[in-house]
Amino acid sequence: MLRTTLAGLRAHKLRLLLTSLAIALGVGFIAGTFVLTDTIEVGFRQKFTADAAKIDVAVRPADDPAISAEVLAKIRKVPGVVEAQGMLSGPAPLLGRDGKAAGNYPTTGISVMTGQLNRLTLTGGVAPAKPDEAILDDNTAKTRQFAVGDTITVLDQKNVKHEFTLVGLFDTGVDQQLASSGAVGFTTETARLMTGAKGFDRVDVVGTEDPARLRDAVASALGAGFQVKTGDQLADELAAQSKVEIGYLTLLLLLFGLVAMFVSALVIYNTFNILVAQRTREMALLRCIGATRTQIFGSILLESAVVGVLSSGIGLLLGLGLGAGAMAVMEALDGPVPAGAAIALTPRTIVFSVLIGLLVTIGAALLPARAATRVAPVAALRSQVEEQSFKTGVVRIVFAGLFLLAGAGLTTAGITSIEGDLALIVLMGGGGVFFLGVLIISPVIMRPLAAFVGWLPRRLFGVPGKLAVDNARRNPRRAATTTVALTIGVALMTLISVITATTRATVKTQLDEQFPVDYMISDQRGSEAGVPRAVADALRQSPEIGSVMQMRVTNAPVAASDPGTDPGTGEATVGNIPSVPDFRPKAASGSFDRLEPGTVALVDYLAREWNRKVGDTIQVKTTEAGTVTLTIVATFDGRTSDQAPVSVPEKEFDRYFGPLDDTRVFVNAKDGVAPEVARRAVEAVAQPYPTALVMSSTELRGEFDDALDMMLMIFGGLLGLAILISILGIANTLSLSVHERTHESALLRALGLTRPQLRRMLSLEALLLGLIGALVGICLGTVYGWAAMQTFPFEIQFRAPVGQILSFLALSGLAGVLAALLPARRASRASIVGALASV
Amino acid sequence: MTITTDVRHAVVAKGLAKIYGQGDAAVHALRGVDVSFATGAFTAIMGPSGSGKSTLMHCLAGLDTVTEGSVAIGDVEITRLSDKQLTLLRRERVGFVFQAFNLLPTLTAEQNIRLPLEIAGRQADQVLFDRVIDTVGLRDRLSHKPSELSGGQQQRVAVARALISKPNVIFADEPTGNLDSRSGAEVLAFLRRSVRELGQTIVMVTHDPGAASYADRVVFLRDGLLVTELTDPTPQSVLDTLLKLEA
Repeated sequence: MLRTTLAGLRAHKLRLLLTSLAIALGVGFIAGTFVLTDTIEVGFRQKFTADAAKIDVAVRPADDPAISAEVLAKIRKVPGVVEAQGMLSGPAPLLGRDGKAAGNYPTTGISVMTGQLNRLTLTGGVAPAKPDEAILDDNTAKTRQFAVGDTITVLDQKNVKHEFTLVGLFDTGVDQQLASSGAVGFTTETARLMTGAKGFDRVDVVGTEDPARLRDAVASALGAGFQVKTGDQLADELAAQSKVEIGYLTLLLLLFGLVAMFVSALVIYNTFNILVAQRTREMALLRCIGATRTQIFGSILLESAVVGVLSSGIGLLLGLGLGAGAMAVMEALDGPVPAGAAIALTPRTIVFSVLIGLLVTIGAALLPARAATRVAPVAALRSQVEEQSFKTGVVRIVFAGLFLLAGAGLTTAGITSIEGDLALIVLMGGGGVFFLGVLIISPVIMRPLAAFVGWLPRRLFGVPGKLAVDNARRNPRRAATTTVALTIGVALMTLISVITATTRATVKTQLDEQFPVDYMISDQRGSEAGVPRAVADALRQSPEIGSVMQMRVTNAPVAASDPGTDPGTGEATVGNIPSVPDFRPKAASGSFDRLEPGTVALVDYLAREWNRKVGDTIQVKTTEAGTVTLTIVATFDGRTSDQAPVSVPEKEFDRYFGPLDDTRVFVNAKDGVAPEVARRAVEAVAQPYPTALVMSSTELRGEFDDALDMMLMIFGGLLGLAILISILGIANTLSLSVHERTHESALLRALGLTRPQLRRMLSLEALLLGLIGALVGICLGTVYGWAAMQTFPFEIQFRAPVGQILSFLALSGLAGVLAALLPARRASRASIVGALASV
Repeated sequence: MTITTDVRHAVVAKGLAKIYGQGDAAVHALRGVDVSFATGAFTAIMGPSGSGKSTLMHCLAGLDTVTEGSVAIGDVEITRLSDKQLTLLRRERVGFVFQAFNLLPTLTAEQNIRLPLEIAGRQADQVLFDRVIDTVGLRDRLSHKPSELSGGQQQRVAVARALISKPNVIFADEPTGNLDSRSGAEVLAFLRRSVRELGQTIVMVTHDPGAASYADRVVFLRDGLLVTELTDPTPQSVLDTLLKLEA
């Protein structure tokens, strides 16, 4: 029996390979995920270990306060300590060649250690040795066009300009934060002055003693309040941290890998089903000459096991290539990955990949194998193989109904009665269950769907069109499994595209509401620093500017206790309500018109939390006017407004907190002023203030659009694999069907169907399968995209990107046609006489 | 060599040779066959297994290429036609009835019958259609799928399909090979009637002397050569000739 199975497999090498490819792709993706993340992880660990080798002991503060210079001095005095240096970092905005702070975020100033403890990789020049020397990370140097020898200007915390000679360039390595902000390195003392850091984040120590003993010595010298670790311990900790971060990446990628594996399983299931149907006579013959049902069952499973092992092997190699390729791409793009890491192929990757490939293949072959055991020996004697007939069973309808109802129920519950993250999870669970219902019911709806989708081809393409529609409908179970595989990919693509489009539209509407202005000026360092009021005053003088609104916020203790009592220490953000009504949010209750001294507008969630409504009072501890009791005159929706949660009239704000800088300045151009003219005017006003960042609303939207497009592209790429596998499935099903219909094709050719017509017939059949799969997917994706957006706690602007969705439909059809190319070619090339002779 | 066909012959073959394979493995299926089939006649091709009768039919019908010699259907020399031209010729001038797998399982009996016309983009002659349907006695079976028809009914549908496009010639390859004797007799009687009443030309390959006796003329093949022929055969005379050939 074993020999028979293996001989059969050898006889159909090509078919074996095609079948294996579907699983191999899925396994390859999963293996590739492991290879990539393992490589990054190992690379990080090597980097951390190499860094840690340079230090014996590291000291970090246990809680927030930084390590002071006195503590450093104390460490230096510990016996056995040869050298100890502190490291620190903080914002140090580098000015670009235009005199404005570079980038949307300030560059990070870091201290560069000297001697043995220096861990920076210099890519040019030398490390800073004097107070007026600095180094830059090479990316920032490149984009801001600075070279070694140039003079660079950096602002300190009081916005005072300091000039430095650029003496070197360095690589930020695996530090993601430094890579994104850009970094400028100083000597330790200069770094402390520039960043205004109160102390060190970490002190690295080299000693003569054994690291563990030195650690104990340092720890006992410092007492409580510090974490003292050996270099090895530090490396372990950092590696563990990065492992957790990489873990999320692994999980996300595996999720897509599992979708691909599920699609592969459907493809394999279909392939084995068709193979069993086609080999009915072979099975019957084996049964005639004495094979038991168990042996038949075993032979099919054995076949699937061979396919599973083979495809897992190919998949593993594929994964190795994928992982290495992805790593190379990330390095080429200068991503925060350890450079030059050796590609890691761990035993776990091998075992997991082979196991999942094997289990999925054998699992998918179980039902077909059972069907094979039902072949009666007498079937060997029948001359014509019976066409698989499909009758809609009651059991199928009942099960499908149950799944669809349960899925719809969960979905509705997710939308209507559950809040928060759980809603989305319940919704997605509902989606999964609903999809299983669709999977079960799909053979039943395949015929009407084929008739519907085939309406046009039937009329447009004459006899090949009619025959193609009939062929697509003749074996609904096979057609259903083939198309459902494609449905999965298309549904997820549509889902993501609907979510992106809806988010885009929703955010645009929100921006229009919250940010109904042309320009916004804020400080590059974020909300803690401010824009001098002179900016707003100068803008008001500018003839190109229509209106200017200043927004100020500060943190102050606020509470809903009784009048006259102390509000305690619970802080809330207090801000000013603009005096210009255009910039005010909509009131959810009460009215902003009644704002006068002694009143406040409260965000709705605080009002709920404190159980306060319009007419009630709250206490605010101010810096200039003591504790004040304010009467609530309005509440507003915090989800649609940028207004500070506790907002008081503009004049009162100054009285309570003094003349603070503006946190943000909103500017509208005068009607009729061209955007570039207005922009120049705003920038001219902001020019003397290097860190005052001018953003236009279009820029803000553009950034957001770019981020959404990026997400769409990444998810699209990841889902592409599942779609590719389902296309392979169509090709596989079609080529097996073509094989099955050899006689029919010969008959049609004898009756006068030309070769191109025969090819067209098969292409149209594939086109129909592709379109049906895509159509179902689009419906599911759109509905679930809508449902997912309903779980978000704000008003959404639903958008289905029709153009994008139609392109999915068109691409699916096209992919189907492409999948039919080879099978159609083979069918049309077959000799009529040869095909008629082979029974 | 040029062929002159006259109206009295629907199919003429001259010096027909067919060799499969090459060198030592070469099989000479036909070794130079000259044969013609009269218009409006029912001719049977007989011979022992491996005599080349099926190959001869495939070559005559333009389903297979010939190694040497020529074949004309009507006034068209088919051995020099391209695949596309041959396909179009089959649409217009040739009908087929095979031993099995004659019908498309997805189409009803009526759709199967009309299929050649649809492929050719022609309209069915309704009078002819009605007459053919009534002659084969299938009117109440027209909307049935092949799987719902008996073997004899399926073959009758196949014959009706061959007739409907009024081809120059119908090639029937063992049309009763899969049928019981009663259904077989029905189909054969129907083939003969279509020759007598509709003036159809039919060339039938068979190994059954009884089936051959329905024909007007029987030609005998042995080892790829035409050896003898009978006119107005009876089962007995066909059997005698066959026995003589195999002796």
